[in-house]
Amino acid sequence: MSHASQAAPLARDADGAGESRPRAGQPARLASGGLVDRTSTLHFTFDGRSLAGHPGDTLASALIANGVRLVGRSFKYHRPRGIFTAGPEEPNALVEIGTGARRTPNTKATTVELFDGLQAVSQNRWPSLRVDALAINQLGGPFLAAGFYYKTFMWPAAFWEKVYEPLIRRAAGLGGASGLPDPDLYEKSHAFCDVLVIGSGPAGLAAALAAGRAGARVILCEDDFALGGKLLAERREIDGRPGAHWARAAEAELAAMPEVTILRRCQVFGTYDDGVYGALERVADHVAAPRPGQPRQRLWRIVARACVNAMGAVERSIAFGGNDRPGVMTASAVRTYVNRFGVAPGRAVAVFTATDDGWRTAADLAAAGIGVAAVIDPRSGVAPALRASVGGARVLTGARVCDVRGGADGVRALEILHDGRRERIVADTLAVSGGWNPQVALATHKGAKPRWSEALQSFVPDAMPQGMRVAGAANGEMTLAACLAAGAARGEEAAAACGFTAAPAPAPRADDEPCGLVALWHVAESRSKAFVDLQNDVTAADVDLAHREGFRSVEHLKRYTTLGMATDQGKTSNVLGHAMMAALTAGGTDTVDMGRVGTTMARPPHLPVAIGAFAGHHRGKHFKPTRLSAAQVWAEGAGATFVETGLWLRAQWYPRPGETDWLASVSREVRTVREAVGFCDVSTLGKIDIQGADAGAFLDRVYVNTVSTLPVGKARYGLMLREDGFALDDGTTARLGPEHYLMSTTTANAARVMQHLEFCHQVLWPDLDVAMVSVTEQWSQFSVAGPRARDVMARLFGASDVSDASLPYMGCRATRLGGAPARVFRLSFSGELAYEIAVPARFGAALAEALAEAVAAHGGCPYGTEALGVMRIEKGHVAGNELNGQTTGRDLGLGRMMSKKKDYVGRVMAERPALVAPERPSLVGVRPVDPSQRLRAGSHFLRLGAEASVGNDEGYLTSVAFSPSLGGWIGLGFLASGPDRLGERIRAYDPVRGGDVVVEVVSPVFIDPEGSRLHG
Amino acid sequence: MADLAPRAAFAGLLHASAPPEGGIPGLVVSARPERQLAIAIARKGKRAELAQRLRQATGLALPEGPHRTTAGRMTALGTGPRSWLVMEEGGEPGLADRLAEALSPLAAVSDQSDGYAVLRLTGAHVRDVLAKGIALDLHPRAFGPGSAAVTNCAHLGVTLWQIDEAPTFELAVFRSYAGSLAHWLGESAAEFGLGVAAE
Repeated sequence: MSHASQAAPLARDADGAGESRPRAGQPARLASGGLVDRTSTLHFTFDGRSLAGHPGDTLASALIANGVRLVGRSFKYHRPRGIFTAGPEEPNALVEIGTGARRTPNTKATTVELFDGLQAVSQNRWPSLRVDALAINQLGGPFLAAGFYYKTFMWPAAFWEKVYEPLIRRAAGLGGASGLPDPDLYEKSHAFCDVLVIGSGPAGLAAALAAGRAGARVILCEDDFALGGKLLAERREIDGRPGAHWARAAEAELAAMPEVTILRRCQVFGTYDDGVYGALERVADHVAAPRPGQPRQRLWRIVARACVNAMGAVERSIAFGGNDRPGVMTASAVRTYVNRFGVAPGRAVAVFTATDDGWRTAADLAAAGIGVAAVIDPRSGVAPALRASVGGARVLTGARVCDVRGGADGVRALEILHDGRRERIVADTLAVSGGWNPQVALATHKGAKPRWSEALQSFVPDAMPQGMRVAGAANGEMTLAACLAAGAARGEEAAAACGFTAAPAPAPRADDEPCGLVALWHVAESRSKAFVDLQNDVTAADVDLAHREGFRSVEHLKRYTTLGMATDQGKTSNVLGHAMMAALTAGGTDTVDMGRVGTTMARPPHLPVAIGAFAGHHRGKHFKPTRLSAAQVWAEGAGATFVETGLWLRAQWYPRPGETDWLASVSREVRTVREAVGFCDVSTLGKIDIQGADAGAFLDRVYVNTVSTLPVGKARYGLMLREDGFALDDGTTARLGPEHYLMSTTTANAARVMQHLEFCHQVLWPDLDVAMVSVTEQWSQFSVAGPRARDVMARLFGASDVSDASLPYMGCRATRLGGAPARVFRLSFSGELAYEIAVPARFGAALAEALAEAVAAHGGCPYGTEALGVMRIEKGHVAGNELNGQTTGRDLGLGRMMSKKKDYVGRVMAERPALVAPERPSLVGVRPVDPSQRLRAGSHFLRLGAEASVGNDEGYLTSVAFSPSLGGWIGLGFLASGPDRLGERIRAYDPVRGGDVVVEVVSPVFIDPEGSRLHG
Repeated sequence: MADLAPRAAFAGLLHASAPPEGGIPGLVVSARPERQLAIAIARKGKRAELAQRLRQATGLALPEGPHRTTAGRMTALGTGPRSWLVMEEGGEPGLADRLAEALSPLAAVSDQSDGYAVLRLTGAHVRDVLAKGIALDLHPRAFGPGSAAVTNCAHLGVTLWQIDEAPTFELAVFRSYAGSLAHWLGESAAEFGLGVAAE
């Protein structure tokens, strides 16, 4: 890339045939220069039109090359808009990329890397981009000012949600989501480094080189697909060679360092606590579809000991009439398109600049052979060197642009205010330079306020987040030489902070350029709409209105006008709007205290991040992990229907041919267990191995009842409370040895109980000699229940091992099953003669299969959680519905278990008067008086004839089931003074589902109250 | 009663995928179903004695903190303030019983041979894949063959340790999560290709 070759004549458009037309179909492509590969052509479409570009182009540069100026319609007024910038700060050129399920709305054309086959479509227009019906909104301007919808659409109030809001949302807005499932993969990853360098402009590259050479682990993140930042867009030299060449050499050196990682297409979007940064890598957005297995985007959580923030600065506009027309661009964008992409944004380009920097655009245009219509500078005095740099173009000092004339095609002419008179200048493009805003967002995400710089007329970072240093334009160090020096220095410091000493290296040389400026925010003489925030259509008049109506704080200004609230977060507009408000509040005096006015709070993400990237692989059924018991594979084969219980999948029932609904299957399973035998996978229940000399004492303190008196080889039911006296969980605990217990918990509370026990041990009683560990996953466990259960057990273990004498009710023993170690327990949840068998989980599937055979031989079947639930309700056993966090031991009918002889967790609080009041709802059973009626859990209890009011509420129904044994619906619930009201008739009232059933209060034990079946 | 047939935790769950650009897979995974595992928790005040007894019984040094020690077929990982995961590769069954006897009454020992499912991971991209699930710095300067960690992998509780500088890592997860871990691994390794090796 030589400078001489860039000074090629401007390409003529399609009708300007001849030698000077270098590229067919790309009328505005320069013959040479820039960093695009003209030897290769990429085909793409925009609104269905076939166009061509080159590798190295963005969609925006390729559109410019093809002479496309009108790219979108604005948010509110549907005004024609073009391309305003050349980077991620773009407010205007938002398009939909891709088709079908891959369609992505609101994509900035300025950051889309061109690829072959790219399909882009403009958005927020109807019926077409050129003829947009809603452009009529512009005429309604006075009614569509800030806050208009709150003022206009107030009555009738009910209309807001149903009529006004949908209408407004349809009229305003941006692109649409595809509404289809995203076919691509997204993922999350973690990265760690000593020094994170954000941005690969001159400061970032210098910092990465310094830290990398010192031996630090460096991650360099660059949002663009090419490294170099502004070096790619400027005709500047470093060490006597073009800046882009220096960047390429720096990149090569970094790439060769084993501890340096370069992440291209990776935007750092947030600064979080303790040196954590969020970044999004667009892994495959620059291809039509990702390779198989390749994620489209990857969300990085980067943990950095130190950070050099070299995000650079964003050029801001000036508010003047028609400053949103296609063809009005930031001055730096204009020269980026010329220098980096080799395209001409126009043929007669005027430059309106309040900065020395803007003159460089004019100089670069002239050098590229592009016509400079005029350079307009509000300053009266301009250095002769600047005047000389623009190659004889017309220069107007002490002048301002007040209005832009043009239509949907963009700029045609400018109205200039010059020496007190208006003058029309013909131009097709206007490059605007209002000054540079350092990108302070990442430095202020943790809450620090930026500081106002008089020299820069913008905010610069002040207090830093932990470990962050700011270098270059992001810190207000605006010249190339300053960027290089600051980058190297901050890179060395950051590495040194991590314990790495930099080897001395020659500093790269570059000349300082002039960077003076004057503050110019608003050209008050403008007659047409002067825009502040292009994306949200906020005008100078809106800022004025907000001031008049008292919304003067910058945060109020933001909410009232929506300034800075669009997807670009006001990168080109915030400071402009805030300075205009500051000028208004200063009452026209020049003493504008921007430091006091401040700027709005920046929050992550700095740039939009797709929700899919945050979800990563955790989509659909993988939203959360699934836990499968070892016998799952057998249950699937047996045709089970599964239910989610927490993270577990459990067999709910096992339908058989001919069974038309779940109730038929469940009732058949219940009858089979009650009449013969069944087995059920209970592996999901929590199992906690508790050992130690004080294990018994420990258990006595966590359970309401005494456990330490349990003989070895026996098990006992226990209830544990929370500190506040309410029930936490229940289960059986078996004593396996003198100092060895095995606790079981409910499936739902397994982790919580483990946590509770560890808390009790580590915090409350660290003096106890007790050790505990979860063995839930080690053992696969099955319940075998029913009158024929012993036959089944005998088949597996031999008759003598399971006789009532060798394994009495609540007995337990270690044994073997074939070659496998096993444990057997004589426990029952169903009320039948029942056992539980535990084997190491690797044998779980095989044991399920063996049990299926064994029970079948005795007329039995497997049963699922639903039959288990029916049988426990029939027996009045409490479960999750009753252990709901609002019930005490007394409520559950377990008051007598609560020891008076010892202390235990929750004892004192369980004695609170309201918790022991006799009228407190406690456990009862209910049956409909009319046996054909169905009960519904959640129904509330009312006295017969009482009005259905909260004051008359006497409790509620927690569990219901159709009992095949009793031939009707039964339920468990909590009723005021319940146990004293057996035989009374009450209402089970369900206003949600329209239920109102007269029920009789009965004992919660519906079946075999004597327990004769248990002892079989 | 005939012997019950064992079924490995990862049986049918690990699926190879071809490297998109040919060549060898960036990650090679193998399950370790025959590994025996036991959790040993020091009884109150017995830590020093336990270290001595463990060395006599197995040759293992008791790791201090989240570290890994080895002796022959035996490995010990520090998993908590006074708890260790002890593993034996290819020995006689009954590691937990043997340890319980050897370490009694200095430690509470529980068999976890079936409680955890263990994967061995190696390949050029093993760190890249692990980084997608594990929020720990696995760079050689921060984590090595003497390191162990009780942490999370893609929302699953895991124990992670490094075997060698190839690098080879091993990952233990509660058995019921094997399917979810395998799904995450399959998706995370797909861009590099996933090889499934026999044990």
